[in-house]
Amino acid sequence: MKKQGTGNSKAVSVYRTRMIGSGLLFFLIAFGMVGPFLVSGDPGRQNLSAILSTPGKEYLLGTDHLGRDMLLRLTAAIRVSVAIALITTATASLIGVSLGILAATRGGLAERCTSLLADTFLALPGLLLVLLLVAIAPGSFWPLYLGIAMILWVEQFRMTRALVQPLATSPAVQATRLLGFGPWYVFRRHFWPELQANVLTLSAFGAATAILSVAALGFISVGIRPPTPELGQMMIELLPYYQEAPLIFLQPILILFLLVLSLNLIAGGKIR
Amino acid sequence: MSKILGAFMVVLVLLLPFSAFAAPPMIQIVAPWEISSKDPSRAGFVYGRLEVAETLVNVDLNGSHIPGLAASWDTSDDGRIWRFTIRPDVRFHDGTLMTTETVVNSLLIARQKPGVLNRAPVESIEADNEAIVLTLSEPFSPILSFLTHYSTMILAPAAYDESGNVVEVIGTGPYRITLLQPPQKMEVAVFTEYWGPQPKIERAGYLAAGRGETRALLAESGEAHVVFTIDPASVQRLARRDHLEIRTVPLPRIVSLKLNCAHPGLEDVRVRQALSLAIDRAGIAQAILRQPDLVANQYFPPSMQAWHLSDSAPLRYDTEQARHLLQEAGWHVNDAGKLERDGQLLQVEIVTYPDRPELPLIAAAVQDQWRSVGVEATIAISNSSVIPARHQDNSLEIGLISRLLALVPDPLGILVQDFAPGGGDWGAMNWNSDQLSAILAKLIVSGENDTAEELNRQVSEILHEEMPIIPISWYQQTVAVSRQVTNVIIDPFERVYNISAMEWNEQ
Amino acid sequence: MNQATIGYRVFQAFLVAFLVGLGTFIMVRVLPGDLAYRIAAGRYGYDLVDSVAAEAVRLELGLDGSPILAFLSWFWDLIRFDLGYSLVTGELVRDAIFHELGHSVDLAATALILSLFIGPPLGLLAGFRPGSIIDRLVLASSVVFRSIPHFAIGLVLIMIFSIQAGLLPVAGHGHPLSRVLPALTLALGLAAVSSRIARDAMIKVRESDYYLFGRTKGLSESQVFFRHGLRNVSVPIITYLGMQFVYLIEGVVVVETLFAWPGIGHSLVHAIVARDIPMIQGTAFVMGLMFVFLNALVDFLNRLVDPRERVV
Repeated sequence: MKKQGTGNSKAVSVYRTRMIGSGLLFFLIAFGMVGPFLVSGDPGRQNLSAILSTPGKEYLLGTDHLGRDMLLRLTAAIRVSVAIALITTATASLIGVSLGILAATRGGLAERCTSLLADTFLALPGLLLVLLLVAIAPGSFWPLYLGIAMILWVEQFRMTRALVQPLATSPAVQATRLLGFGPWYVFRRHFWPELQANVLTLSAFGAATAILSVAALGFISVGIRPPTPELGQMMIELLPYYQEAPLIFLQPILILFLLVLSLNLIAGGKIR
Repeated sequence: MSKILGAFMVVLVLLLPFSAFAAPPMIQIVAPWEISSKDPSRAGFVYGRLEVAETLVNVDLNGSHIPGLAASWDTSDDGRIWRFTIRPDVRFHDGTLMTTETVVNSLLIARQKPGVLNRAPVESIEADNEAIVLTLSEPFSPILSFLTHYSTMILAPAAYDESGNVVEVIGTGPYRITLLQPPQKMEVAVFTEYWGPQPKIERAGYLAAGRGETRALLAESGEAHVVFTIDPASVQRLARRDHLEIRTVPLPRIVSLKLNCAHPGLEDVRVRQALSLAIDRAGIAQAILRQPDLVANQYFPPSMQAWHLSDSAPLRYDTEQARHLLQEAGWHVNDAGKLERDGQLLQVEIVTYPDRPELPLIAAAVQDQWRSVGVEATIAISNSSVIPARHQDNSLEIGLISRLLALVPDPLGILVQDFAPGGGDWGAMNWNSDQLSAILAKLIVSGENDTAEELNRQVSEILHEEMPIIPISWYQQTVAVSRQVTNVIIDPFERVYNISAMEWNEQ
Repeated sequence: MNQATIGYRVFQAFLVAFLVGLGTFIMVRVLPGDLAYRIAAGRYGYDLVDSVAAEAVRLELGLDGSPILAFLSWFWDLIRFDLGYSLVTGELVRDAIFHELGHSVDLAATALILSLFIGPPLGLLAGFRPGSIIDRLVLASSVVFRSIPHFAIGLVLIMIFSIQAGLLPVAGHGHPLSRVLPALTLALGLAAVSSRIARDAMIKVRESDYYLFGRTKGLSESQVFFRHGLRNVSVPIITYLGMQFVYLIEGVVVVETLFAWPGIGHSLVHAIVARDIPMIQGTAFVMGLMFVFLNALVDFLNRLVDPRERVV
């Protein structure tokens, strides 16, 4: 489908962007995984006589407002947040893409129903949705995943439907169908290559949305049960100390930035 | 495209004159409390603090009762009949004259609503010439104190609809409302027909800002003149600003752990004492509240002189002793480092609420400190209503609460509720002390007299020993005051902001 | 817009209303925590909520009544456009929403306009030269503003514009300039995404046949852009911003709280915390209707910009 031939240098640059992105993501996840082996300790252990200490010998990345080791907390938080982001965006993409394809290929009643469902979800205040779910089981993880995923899937759905609709009636897809290939093959061969880049871009932003939603919910005192370290929750807990200890306050934000950047580079590298 | 750009530039140019905004011509007050309603029983505090409406009885800075809308009062010998003489020539903001009937009307409506008056044994409230007569079914000494509470403020008859709902706040105070935008904003101006001296400050604004960061920045930028509840993390920064002065006033409020004394782990007084010994109060006061003096070494803070024990042994931080007491109570440390008795782990759930931002932090600190002696605590951050609700259905294990000991200047009314036999919604839980009940009953009848002091002491001592509630820290109100304003008086009972006493600084 | 579309929108509006009612109905029944206690806490505050207050609330509101009856009566009132009274403040829900929605729309519209001047122009610039330094800078700043939480952006803006420069008010509302900082905070977040969308759309348009033809027939880059590019780039941006407008109105709790701005998100959170059912239902209902209206508006605008017939 590409209109312009991709020159050699351009392909190299795309490849390089992708590699940088993957490398960054790998580094972050490795940091989260290896951290506990590098520094022994408990991310919940407090030291009230050493609060908000600056990065130094004793605490490599400093301590938070309760004197907890930032290094240990960040590594633990990466594991939790990456898991939250991955699960929510994966759930959202799965629902969004499959319903989108259903709507685009079947048309008729299927399209009406799925579109109505999507519009209704968009129209219902997302905040209401998340807060209701969280209120059902306060302090646990699943309502957060579910609530955020229920907001994110709509975007994936709308994008998939829009992209697949013209494809579904294209001669190439018709021919493949006539040849007797199943829907999975059609998806792999025709739909996914077109969708891939957009799904990944939306997921990259979706991952950021997920983590920032946890932070926003923390802002209104709803969210993860303390003392579980999570990037969004840490941002909000450290917020009161933004002027007193900016170096500590910025750490979870920097990690989130790197995470979003890496996902964007991976996704963006694939576009064109 | 260029058209839109042009329009944008025009808008920018039009907005420019506003950017040179000078200090507002009114005193700007900022506080965290939102104006939830017009009803005094719900949001009366804000109308009281801004001196829009007044109560029959007032309180001076020491907590003594002084005349408010009632010029004087006396009581019958048996303490059951109270006569309040109404101040003459008092006008409401709508111009109507305050009469005994209007006062009775307000009090009767207040009594039907949750507040303080519905908790007093009031038999009748009637008008009698220039006085109103309040008849009690039994002697109740805190009644005078109850009449200082915002839920008993006197409003004009036109303020209520036929079913007693407040439709407009028409008070008698030196300030009348000129703008009311719940939940965040209110503006008042001087009421020229006020019965007392005319204030110097002509206009004042109130803004509710929920986040401590916002309030600190409002003080820092000079937009606000008096900012209440400065968060501990901002105090030092603001104190360095030349245009600001940081003032602190002790509050009759305490952070404490409410323990379910019927919980299998907590029924033993030794365990309760051990839990208290395992709390690093100094660390919490230093690191979270940033104010070492706030360590609660007993239930009543020093500002409550009548109740504070100056010579009691303070609560200590001693994990060794805590471990020892737990061992005595039959709990031993298992291989995983957790306390165990007959195959049962010592597990508790601490319920707290985020309305006061320090509570979740203190909960996290207590959780970690208890972990070091082997107590496994989980934290549930919920709504403040969960504490009384789960007290009632008996499912609460531990509540980390912030309790206002003197909702009205006299704490007796609160103590009677909190330490009633079997406990109270915000007090003890499944705990009884016949001795304490007897003393409180005596105090309720007698009120302020010679023996009261000794009885107060005994109350404090019982609470100190039996530990149905573990005190953690006291409170103070931290206020940032702009140097543009002088004569700012901070009320320790948080009843009034005293704007009527403030003056602009001429220098 | 044809009749079928209008019919669909009306149907959608009713469905949304029904779902909102159902959702809050279920909430009342399913959510843990005693309703009367929650409402009492919302009304009287944490110093006065106790079993006595909760009992009074229970009696006053008749909370022990049949839930199905309550649901039906809400729906009946709704059909007559009666949103009822708030259980917490005792004020008319209609008035409260009017006040708060006004402020929210004000903030959202300002944010949207500001973001239009930041996001799309940068995105188009990046799209003209994909892979260039500008493209990368735009990507980087887009990621920065997408991954920094709103409260951090807001605080930095306050410190720059209010504390240091003394140009704009820190927080509050009423002053004509009060809206600038909260709106800018939101706008930066919006621009982060709309710049990406504009960039991708621009690249696609530049690769299209009509655009290439325009170039071949001798038009300059800017001529082709304004004749053929802009319209086509606008469609996805309008669609995106239309959706974002809704997010803005509800999802700005953080910004509203930080800037003490009396918006609908803030009040919705309070209503949910206090289980103020008429307020939740009213807010959600009005926002649902607004969404439906905006959706229709987006369709209309897109048709205006790109009159070709297409499947919605």
